[in-house]
Amino acid sequence: MTSAPRGAARGTSQRDLEEDADELVHLYGLEDDDELGDEFADETMPRIEVSEYPAAEQRDWRLSGEAAEAEDLGFGGWGSEGQCQDLREAYRYAHGRASEEYECYVIPEEEDEEEAPDVFCATCKLPLRALEKVLEEHKGHEVTPLSKALESAKDEIHKNMCRLEKQIIEMENFACHLEEVFITVEENFGRQEQNFESHYNEILETLAQKYEEKILALGEKKKEKLEALYGQLVSCGENLDTCKELMETVEEICHEEKVDFIKDAVAMADRLRKFLETKTDVELAAQPALEDQTLDFSDVEQLLGSINTIPAPSAPVINPQAPSSATGSSVRVCWSLFSDDTVESYQLSYRPVRDGSPGTDHTESTVTVKETYCSVANLEPNTQYEFRVTAQNRAGLSPASERAVYMTAPSPPVIKSKEVRSCEEAALIRWESGNLNPVDSYTVELTQAEAPGAAGVTESVVGVPTCEALVQLQPRQSYAIYVRALNVGGPSARSEPATVHTTGSYFRLDEQTCHPWLAISEDGLTAVRSERKAPTREPPPRSTRFSRCVAVMGNLIPVRGRHYWEVEVDERSDYTVGVASEDVPKQEDLGANRLSWCMRHTWAAPRHKYEFLHNKTTPDIRITVPPKKIGILLDYENSTLSFFNVDISQHLYTFSCQLPQFVHPCLSLEKPGRLKIHNGIPVPKHVALY
Amino acid sequence: MALKQISSNKCFGGLQKVFEHDSVELNCKMKFAIYLPPKAETGKCPALYWLSGLTCTEQNFISKSGYHQAASEHGLVVIAPDTSPRGCNIKGEDESWDFGTGAGFYVDATEHPWKTNYRMYSYVTEELPQLINANFPVDPQRMSIFGHSMGGHGALICALKNPGKYKSVSAFAPICNPVLCPWGKKAFSGYLGTDQSKWKAYDATHLVKSFPGSQLDILIDQGKDDQFLSDGQLLPDNFIAACAEKKTPVVFRLQEARL
Repeated sequence: MTSAPRGAARGTSQRDLEEDADELVHLYGLEDDDELGDEFADETMPRIEVSEYPAAEQRDWRLSGEAAEAEDLGFGGWGSEGQCQDLREAYRYAHGRASEEYECYVIPEEEDEEEAPDVFCATCKLPLRALEKVLEEHKGHEVTPLSKALESAKDEIHKNMCRLEKQIIEMENFACHLEEVFITVEENFGRQEQNFESHYNEILETLAQKYEEKILALGEKKKEKLEALYGQLVSCGENLDTCKELMETVEEICHEEKVDFIKDAVAMADRLRKFLETKTDVELAAQPALEDQTLDFSDVEQLLGSINTIPAPSAPVINPQAPSSATGSSVRVCWSLFSDDTVESYQLSYRPVRDGSPGTDHTESTVTVKETYCSVANLEPNTQYEFRVTAQNRAGLSPASERAVYMTAPSPPVIKSKEVRSCEEAALIRWESGNLNPVDSYTVELTQAEAPGAAGVTESVVGVPTCEALVQLQPRQSYAIYVRALNVGGPSARSEPATVHTTGSYFRLDEQTCHPWLAISEDGLTAVRSERKAPTREPPPRSTRFSRCVAVMGNLIPVRGRHYWEVEVDERSDYTVGVASEDVPKQEDLGANRLSWCMRHTWAAPRHKYEFLHNKTTPDIRITVPPKKIGILLDYENSTLSFFNVDISQHLYTFSCQLPQFVHPCLSLEKPGRLKIHNGIPVPKHVALY
Repeated sequence: MALKQISSNKCFGGLQKVFEHDSVELNCKMKFAIYLPPKAETGKCPALYWLSGLTCTEQNFISKSGYHQAASEHGLVVIAPDTSPRGCNIKGEDESWDFGTGAGFYVDATEHPWKTNYRMYSYVTEELPQLINANFPVDPQRMSIFGHSMGGHGALICALKNPGKYKSVSAFAPICNPVLCPWGKKAFSGYLGTDQSKWKAYDATHLVKSFPGSQLDILIDQGKDDQFLSDGQLLPDNFIAACAEKKTPVVFRLQEARL
């Protein structure tokens, strides 16, 4: 409890503070500390003149505001008035003065220098004149120069001021916090009140309704009985009337003459007899007593009971799928509850989304979890699942949330490694989707496979729309290339890698283009025409297959750079090697049109004949050393196609060919023989000159 | 040996020069043309020797062929000597256009009065390269030779008689088998005498048959409508056949006359 340090100059403001302090002291039961307070007051402190405390103007603005708030919050409504008042006062006190407003650092000069004390006796805590020191009183006491004493006293005060400042700030913060708590309590309790009120009203309504119903029913019952009885009464009356009438008639008869009497008596006797034979009903039509009825108050009981129970929760809100949160076999479903309901567990139901008729084959699965998320596993890849979640507590189940559709990531694609083509600057990769249904796109990832197992930099090409990609690469490196499929659920796992070496150009012979008499090896690099006769049944001609010359084409990567490959030939065989564009007429010979350029060798012992064919023409060329291995350089930039004898590094011939379209290697065997392609060879130096 | 520059002209970034010197082999003043490409300013370049045909001087090739652009691009020093010794005052040297002046046939003559001066074979294979190597930025290890007609014959025999000396040899319409053609018979009998065995030493077709290595890559271009071809002066088929048999690599291109 802070109490204001005293000084000489005090006004009424000081006394106000004292009153407040006393009040608080009283409030917090610090009576015992009164003496403490007094002690402070009486303690002899060094007579430091503190010029003034700022007039402690109570901040009335705060008071009025506070009072208004107090009214609003209905403070007057509960608790003791006095307590409220005190709290308000306490609040005001804490806010009465901002900590910056205290000024206590002005220390005026002493007026009387001559007689002024100049030393300080620490033992007696008295300022002295130096001369006095030698007096007996202060002999042996510790004496310090007055200035020093002043300094240390100032420091002491300063420290205490700092601590006081801190305390003020703390108290201010705490007061703010308390304000917030007030509001929260109000809110919480307000809600509970509302809840209770609605419950209570429901019960009252139900009771009132029951009352009405019951009264109505009773009324009906009463009316029924009365009507029955009345009916009976009426028939009684009728009976009586008839009886009376008969009596009168009999009387009349008895007073008649004998002859008339006999006549009427007989008739009367008949009538009487008839009448008396009819039964008179003397049973009560309705019982006077009300039948026993037990009133059914079960629903009221239920309502009464439900006041004490917590309500069932409200429907959770299921979140949309977070991007890339799914795997090929699982999704992570998240939801939230936007209320303070108590929830013991959640039930998550799901089933796959299927096109077609609903209601068929819908196996719905359910899991129960305590958290607001769940990883659902064992799902099919690239499939949409519909999820909904309900919350559960003792009171029951909430309504189901909206349905949300989550999708699993796709299965990884499968690279067609046999169809990979490459050159020094690029590679063309094709793959199978790996998924029955379409995916959104594919991502191609490549790493330089310099150190196996080492994590190199991975380059990614995203947003590939089809199952094919041409990726740019650096020359003379080895790469591992992976593909992922992508949908809203996220990316699939990596496919198995395809290895690409960017040395020379790689391609394979395309079986789709192969003449029926030509057999292509498993690795796609050797073409063999065997001695056997042609098969008796010719397969139907297809536009992709060579039908006239026994030829096959390779699949060169469509990159306009320099491509070099070598073909191993048999000196004695008749063969043709060169390039052709994809739409070269397959029913013509290679070199017989404008879409193919090739070198043809014909062996007519002992002469080797060489032709360099394009558009049916060839220069007249004689070659003295028949090549065993032919190097072919295709240069898009210089528009040339060159042939070399690899073994002796001899240039044979160069076509100047305009190549607006892409061309592919091609070869044919005019007689049985074998041609083998060698790939992935960097352009030899002597060839590079061309 | 003192070189006297006769002319120098800028051409395709390089310099076409003509020099004159006193030839030891030929015993007279000889001129030769030399093209220095731009690359020659900063380093040694390969040397390519061009041998001209009958009636030519050092001027024909540098005036008519248009080779400078290619030489400049590929950084080749091209040397074009004269086709025979000049001003020797030998009787009969100017009588025919295909014998004597302008028709040295790139042989070392053994017959009088030609043997003093007509030593074009030694000039082209020894003296001139030494002169060039000493005075110009050429790489002595990279030397090639080519020529036309009589010069083609000269290129072929120089290469065949000096295995390993030349990196490549090519010829335009060369006289391939002089021993069997009128030109050759006339020239050889004048320069070398009647002993035909001495002629074979300067006949490409014969030389190929005893050529030791196959480290040669010969390119021959021949115009199909060349009159001298049909006249039987050139006889490339004989040469081809001999090369084919000896497995000497030759690519022979018979070029159409395109109108």
